Amino acid sequence: MSIASDLIRGHTDTIILARLMDGDNYGYEINKSIQQRTDGKYELKEATLYTAFRRLEGAGCISSYWGDEQTGARRRYYKITDVGRDTYAGLISEWARAKIMIDKLIETEAE
Amino acid sequence: MEDKIRRHVDELFAETAPTKKAIELKEEMIQNLNDKYNDLVSEGKTQEAAYNIVVAGIGDISALLSEVQEDAASAAPGLFETEYDRRKSAMFTAISVMMYILSPLPLIILAMLGNRDPARVGVPILFVMIAGATGLLVYNSMTKPRYHAGSGSMVAEFREWQADTKDRRALRRAISSALWAVVLTVYFIISFMTFAWHVTWIIFIIAGAIEAFINLFFTVKK
Repeated sequence: MSIASDLIRGHTDTIILARLMDGDNYGYEINKSIQQRTDGKYELKEATLYTAFRRLEGAGCISSYWGDEQTGARRRYYKITDVGRDTYAGLISEWARAKIMIDKLIETEAE
Repeated sequence: MEDKIRRHVDELFAETAPTKKAIELKEEMIQNLNDKYNDLVSEGKTQEAAYNIVVAGIGDISALLSEVQEDAASAAPGLFETEYDRRKSAMFTAISVMMYILSPLPLIILAMLGNRDPARVGVPILFVMIAGATGLLVYNSMTKPRYHAGSGSMVAEFREWQADTKDRRALRRAISSALWAVVLTVYFIISFMTFAWHVTWIIFIIAGAIEAFINLFFTVKK
């Protein structure tokens, strides 16, 4: 795990919601796609992932259901709700504003 | 190796009350960890390395665990005595006590009415009522919901201890009521056989002494 993880941690909810915008998914698969998108540089701890799931479900942003796999154990899938889509849109625009602001704040006059 | 992952997660959950939420979280975790493990092995990691990576990736779940067992009391009502159970139990006890008190009544009434042999009908009725009342008490104490172990938390231990003391108290009560039932029967039998009503009441004083000894025994054993 890299130095960037502290910066990323504050956006766990946004990251998970983004993954669920692409379709219903379960814990490991979500974490795997996070890992693949960062070329293996970032991955959520199990604890962080499930805590975020519980939090988002409690806030009504996502719902969960048990899959009906024919073989092996059943997986718990998560699905984004309409509230979740709104929350996601809000978080994205918030991040866009923050990014511009931070870029300006850390700029120096020296060329 | 999948067993090893399950065992590891079992250990993480050892201190957690088995609420529905906790069990679901546990199953979800085991499932996802196994998927991860299988992926790592198919990528060419050794079983040992894959297991270590999986375990290291779990992180600190203590906050999550306390969250899923917060509503332990409401999530698992089966484990706790409900208001309904308490009422049922109180009713059974009340009926039993009433039967004990009323059991000699037919005998007394028959005797008062001048029946020549009141014991012939009165004593069997007395026995039946005492047997019924005792049976009811025993049934009541055996069907009462119990607190289950299975969780090492302090609250659970306290509940168990409480249930344990309650069981002992129930046993003591059962012994006491059986003693008095027997004493009453003996009193009537001896009295009707000897017609020495003026002395046979002594039996009750002896019984009182016996009960005091039984109580003493229970207190010392505790």
